[in-house]
Amino acid sequence: MILCFLLPSLAIFLLYRVIPLGWNAVLSFQSWSPMRPPRWVGLEHYEEMLFYDDVFWTALWNTLIWIGAAPLAIVLALGIALLVNSDLKGASVYRTIVFLSYPLMTVAVGIIWRWMYDERGGFINWALRELGLIDKPLGFLQSFDLAMPSVILTDIWQVIGFYMIILLTGLQQIPQHLYEAARVDGVPRHAVFLHITLPMLRPSLFLCAVIGLLNSFTSFDLVYVMTNGGPGHATELLVTYIYKLGFGQTKFDYAAAVTVVQFLLLLVLTFLANRLAGGNAGAVEKD
Amino acid sequence: MRRGVPWLRHAVLILVSAAMLLPFYWVLKTAITDENIYAYPPRLLPQNPHPYNFVDVWYLIPFPRYLLNSIVVSLLAVVGNVVLNAMAAYALTQSFRAKKLVILLLLSCMLIPFQATIIPAYLITARIGLLNSYLGLALPLLSTIVCIFIYKSAFEAVPRSLVEAARMDGLSEWRIITHVLLPLSRPAIATNVILAFIWSWNSFMWPLIITRDADMQTLPLGLARFLSYMEDTTGALYAFVCLVLAPGILVFLMAQSAFIRGLTHGATKG
Repeated sequence: MILCFLLPSLAIFLLYRVIPLGWNAVLSFQSWSPMRPPRWVGLEHYEEMLFYDDVFWTALWNTLIWIGAAPLAIVLALGIALLVNSDLKGASVYRTIVFLSYPLMTVAVGIIWRWMYDERGGFINWALRELGLIDKPLGFLQSFDLAMPSVILTDIWQVIGFYMIILLTGLQQIPQHLYEAARVDGVPRHAVFLHITLPMLRPSLFLCAVIGLLNSFTSFDLVYVMTNGGPGHATELLVTYIYKLGFGQTKFDYAAAVTVVQFLLLLVLTFLANRLAGGNAGAVEKD
Repeated sequence: MRRGVPWLRHAVLILVSAAMLLPFYWVLKTAITDENIYAYPPRLLPQNPHPYNFVDVWYLIPFPRYLLNSIVVSLLAVVGNVVLNAMAAYALTQSFRAKKLVILLLLSCMLIPFQATIIPAYLITARIGLLNSYLGLALPLLSTIVCIFIYKSAFEAVPRSLVEAARMDGLSEWRIITHVLLPLSRPAIATNVILAFIWSWNSFMWPLIITRDADMQTLPLGLARFLSYMEDTTGALYAFVCLVLAPGILVFLMAQSAFIRGLTHGATKG
């Protein structure tokens, strides 16, 4: 009886989580397109992916770079969080400003930053030229070397406020008496940071890391708008590659195999992050 | 904790704030300027500010249609989450057989990001005939696991005796939810509304996959499509961006603390 109340939600999760996950796994072992009946091909797709598909490896590598950039953003966010976590006048205004970009539509953010990076009308090229750092404008998003860092910088700009808020919440949960005791004992400030603040902040830091992991999956919007994976495949992520395979080339079966690899990667990394954090990095809703 | 010189901290924070706000300013400046947007050097201040780019947007693209589509989809998602999640959360506060199994199922579903299921999700939606429809756009967003747990902890904070008393008085399960639990769980409702709204309003990949007609496109899709036609050659693109962002920024500034609380609750969106 009471189960009826659960049914609508369960039906949605079944339809859009559980069944797709299973179907996806099955599809990855089949040769299938909307026009043909399915045929089992075993590990053929995985073989092609791992041994013959350079784009897959590029996308995998780029996804790892994307994840690897998260610690940088987290360190920056920690710096800002420490600065605004105080009786500083106007701290809440700074907090609002830094957080503002996070809930905004990522597609719009991508367009804003395309314009910031633009060779003629963009602020960044203008500022660098005015400062005499460069002679010619740089095509940030058109360059094989610069495109990836440029897109990642945009991503950091958008999520840094979110990391800041999480770390701020963590900072405010550290018992004040620890700091008072340290002050009474005359512990130097950097030691207080290393031995009280950082260890007490560990759950928040790893929550940020897990969000950084998920972010590499969900950054489809930004890459799609800013570079569409280009130039070449310089900014291709697994998630954009899967989209192109599935909906550009209608290779649903092969795209499914790449999805399986991407999902396993996320599971393993999330598991590792959880282990490092002492088991409950994802447990935010229990505060 | 008081440390460092206040003015030094202000200086750093002002720099950070400038870096955060400058992109907004740059786009707004371009949107209201009538100079050739490719003129070099770009002006730092808008020259002869005017609203023509905004007028252009109105004529170049079906802005009201995109807006309507976005509003309908977000409304479906918000109502879906507020109602369905409350029902599910209520069930989870009761005891029934297989409850542990259901909770385990929900927690494992949280590990499956939507992006990891897009291919079959598309095929399923095609099979049930919902491609290119409002319901198809909203269906995967109608209930969210994180939000169920947010409701659940709010419901658990309501004294059991109150629920028991209501039941003694012969209130149906449905009325216990709507008349006893929900009125006492306002912050949880707010979080549900905000998260469902942000996720559906900003959602891009799913609409990109399942919409075929321009008539069914939501704002982010319309924006991306306009970009692919215009390739940043017109100030109208930036006027469009401003029109899309302005309501979001206003709503955020008005309900800031609720937003921040909601988003930190939904941190690991399941």
